[in-house]
Amino acid sequence: MPRWGMVIDLDRCTGCAACEVACKSENNIATVRPDQADMGRAMSWMKVETKIEGDFPDTRLSFAPRPCMQCDNPPCVKVCPVSATYLSPEGIVGQIYPRCIGCRYCANACPYTAKYFNWFAPAWPDSERAHLDPDVSVRPRGVMEKCTFCDHRLQQAKENARAAGRPLRESDFQPACADACPTRAIVFGDLDNPAHRVSTLKNDPRATRLMESLGTEPKVYYLTQKA
Amino acid sequence: MSFDRRQFLFALGGGVVAGAGLSEIAAGLAAPTGLLGPVPVPHPAWAPGVEQRVASACLVCPSRCGIRGRIVDGRLVRIDGNPLHPLSQGGLCPRGAAGVQMQYSPGRLTAPLLRAGPRGAGRWRPLSWDGAVSLLVERLGRLRAAGGPQAAAVLAGYCAGSMEDLWRQFLRAYGSANYAADAYADGGDAVMAAMHGVARRPAYDLDRATLVLSFGAPLFEAWWSPVQAAVAYGRTERIREGAPRPRFVQVDTRFSRTAARSSEWIGVRPRTHAILALGIAYVLIREALVDADFLAAHVSGYEDWSDAAGGHEGYRTAVLRRYRTEEVSAATGVSVERIVGLARAFAAGPRSLAICGPDVTLAPDGLLAGLAVHSLNVLVGSVSRPGGVLVGEDPPLAPIAAVTLDDVARRGLAHGPLAAGAPFGEGGGETGAERGAALAEAIAARSPGSVQALLLYYANPLASATRPERWAAALARVPLVVSFSPFHDETTRQADLIIPDLLPYERWQDAPAPASYPYPAWAVVRPLVAPPTGALGTADVLLAVANRLGGTVAASLPHPDMHALLKARARGLFAARRGMPFGDAFATEYQRQMEERGWWLGGGAPAGGGGGFDAFWTRVVESGGWADPFYDYTDGGRMRRTPSGRIELMPADVRRRLQPDAGPYDFIARAEPPAPAGYPLRLQPYRVSTLASGTIGLEPWLAERPALFPDVYWVPWVEVNPATARSLGLEDGAPAWVTSAHGRYRARVKHFPGAARDVVNAPYGLRHPDGELANPLQLLDGAADPLTGLSSWATTFVHLERA
Repeated sequence: MPRWGMVIDLDRCTGCAACEVACKSENNIATVRPDQADMGRAMSWMKVETKIEGDFPDTRLSFAPRPCMQCDNPPCVKVCPVSATYLSPEGIVGQIYPRCIGCRYCANACPYTAKYFNWFAPAWPDSERAHLDPDVSVRPRGVMEKCTFCDHRLQQAKENARAAGRPLRESDFQPACADACPTRAIVFGDLDNPAHRVSTLKNDPRATRLMESLGTEPKVYYLTQKA
Repeated sequence: MSFDRRQFLFALGGGVVAGAGLSEIAAGLAAPTGLLGPVPVPHPAWAPGVEQRVASACLVCPSRCGIRGRIVDGRLVRIDGNPLHPLSQGGLCPRGAAGVQMQYSPGRLTAPLLRAGPRGAGRWRPLSWDGAVSLLVERLGRLRAAGGPQAAAVLAGYCAGSMEDLWRQFLRAYGSANYAADAYADGGDAVMAAMHGVARRPAYDLDRATLVLSFGAPLFEAWWSPVQAAVAYGRTERIREGAPRPRFVQVDTRFSRTAARSSEWIGVRPRTHAILALGIAYVLIREALVDADFLAAHVSGYEDWSDAAGGHEGYRTAVLRRYRTEEVSAATGVSVERIVGLARAFAAGPRSLAICGPDVTLAPDGLLAGLAVHSLNVLVGSVSRPGGVLVGEDPPLAPIAAVTLDDVARRGLAHGPLAAGAPFGEGGGETGAERGAALAEAIAARSPGSVQALLLYYANPLASATRPERWAAALARVPLVVSFSPFHDETTRQADLIIPDLLPYERWQDAPAPASYPYPAWAVVRPLVAPPTGALGTADVLLAVANRLGGTVAASLPHPDMHALLKARARGLFAARRGMPFGDAFATEYQRQMEERGWWLGGGAPAGGGGGFDAFWTRVVESGGWADPFYDYTDGGRMRRTPSGRIELMPADVRRRLQPDAGPYDFIARAEPPAPAGYPLRLQPYRVSTLASGTIGLEPWLAERPALFPDVYWVPWVEVNPATARSLGLEDGAPAWVTSAHGRYRARVKHFPGAARDVVNAPYGLRHPDGELANPLQLLDGAADPLTGLSSWATTFVHLERA
């Protein structure tokens, strides 16, 4: 059984946000109105977090693309009263929209702020409806949504591999963010499969995980010289 | 005929079955249906979706990366990178990925529009495509018949490859020399022209460089190709080639995203980049770290020399006399230790590369500053060698057709261009906005009627120009203004006729890699989705107009449409016996090594070529394009095209144009004028990655995330140091007027510790959600570099007040 995970090399990230836009395009993430964005309600499953320190000319700025950490011990799953959010056998934390009652316990429990709530019915004007990804359902008002490691691509990849009568390869299943990254800072694969690059990269001396002390066991690793 | 379940059961139970429906019902019965499950009812709209992935190229910025469209049932639902494209290698920038939102933008124009009221009133009458072509033929034909073809002019924005060739060929055959570019420029071509005698922008071997010292080049943001820089930044070590991952060092007045991601960031005082560069040169010379053999063999002007006019100070003397490290440190604000360390690191390389960007060259002495930066490459011999500055070449395409000129055209061309270019402003035909500005001035200055028809292709000068009022005056004097913009913008409002181009995902075009990429790569842009019914791309409109004008114009553009033109030009690639259709990393490296050894195995080896031109064309289109991955580093002559055959550190052409007592490297002696009273802050405009041209509104995905700040979206902003902003009583996010002596605009104040205390960093190309322009270029003081004609972005002062 694979255990899907991601390694993000911060020393290779230029903060261009191609991953953000690629994710929005792949997962039909609705654009909220500017006044809603002012209230912090813009949604971005993959979000390039920035941290600015110092003052000119000794300024430092660092970037960290932040998808869902896909914890092995996910706090969001524990608090969901209706089992709308769950941990799949392959390690992907999913969200079942029809089951979600919008209590937002999971958003509060998530230490990584990776979950987003649909405060309003998303507007899909014709101009955006035209390019919706047919593989991903749009979400109604009142449910949580989150990064799924592009789970729908995994389903397709499995079917294609089965049809071709061969095992799933690393290149068969890559999430949209890893696909788009121009510096190849985002590496994705099966953490337990020695043939996949993530399984070696996660043991790199530069590897670290966000808020490891919480015991959430994230499956997203960051590589950085600075830590 | 369609049934729902109830009707179906009723029809069966009643025993009354219409003959025509029999087969449908039979089909329904044959399908396995559960007792309670829905009955599958055949319906034409229920056909399974058809998914395609089609290679093409992105046209939204000069980088022109390879893309692959995911098309489902004829809709473009996603844009991925094309992994076979040698420059982008499957990577993409956010603007490229957001192309699907441009494709379905609600504002796009689908039919030609003819002005119905006075100019600017916004009243339009739709026109058929044939009507638009006929109108253009009639007006241009009349102009030509009256013997005045030189009164037609073209102003073209993002335009490269065959599209630019097509415009130029059309104008030439028609009889006008008035083609002006209105695009991104950073003066690199002028540096190449002055020092190397090369009429082409420099190429950078980023893939093999180990230290990239950038002076104000926005490598990861709005450079020629941010993806080329990103690919180099993210590449793995190549141990065998002795190429560890490159270190990037960014020297600038503005702490940018590039600066943030460089290994080292060096903040310098405004307008002192060149002083730091020459301070580095001083250390290189003092510590004998220069490549003496290279200088002796290939460079002139390093040592003092004398000729008939007397003795001349060489580069070495000029630098040693003026750029003592302490003085450089005092001028730039960079410590002595850092300057010395930088110089030693640059010399140690082993493959160092200095790149100069618009923050340096868009200044009154921009070309000289560019020469100062590039002189570092010459000093360490980082020219025509792996990891250095190279000169690329165009792909070996066949010409569009032989140009034939009739007497009318010959007489028209004899008038020459209306706007004389700056002395170093015309290399490669890719220099910028300023030739557009020169055209505006020429139209306004000449007698009325000097331009009778102005054709605007991806140009919106009323929004992008430094002095839009000059363009307004110029447009008022032109009786026929035609815009080919697919969206309404400031300039289409003043146009008489709009013939909207197809969007980049609907048309055939080609997309050569930008000049910053050393290898010839030619991507093919092909339609990913069907264009609106009957709509024509601008290329096809031009070909149709040429055809209907007849005579030598038609003979010079004999192709029925752009697809045929591209295919005909690709015959040149097929015949060149070099390069290959795009291939994977292995095939590309194989090809490179073969060509290095003088072999060419049919293109696309090791898969093998063969199959004649049509098979070759199919491979080129399906893989996304053609590229030649081999660069001949041994051919140093490519970079030494000056009359003397040597690289000129003290270019004669430049010296001739300076004051008699001034040398090209006198920056430190020049006093910088202080801020004028009432305008205490220096304005530093810059391009945002996602907005290289900035003439249309942002796609929503980009508007949500236009900059590196998590809390900046939708509304244009300016970056101000928090201490400065607080002293002005402007909190983070406060609305403010940015005011110079020449104009003002509204923006939100963003507290940013990466802005120097006395500088306002102002992103260029943004709009408010209501469409109001927020353009810092319209505040500029109008200063320009007399040598390149590029306007100065670094010498304007502003003040801020609450809006």
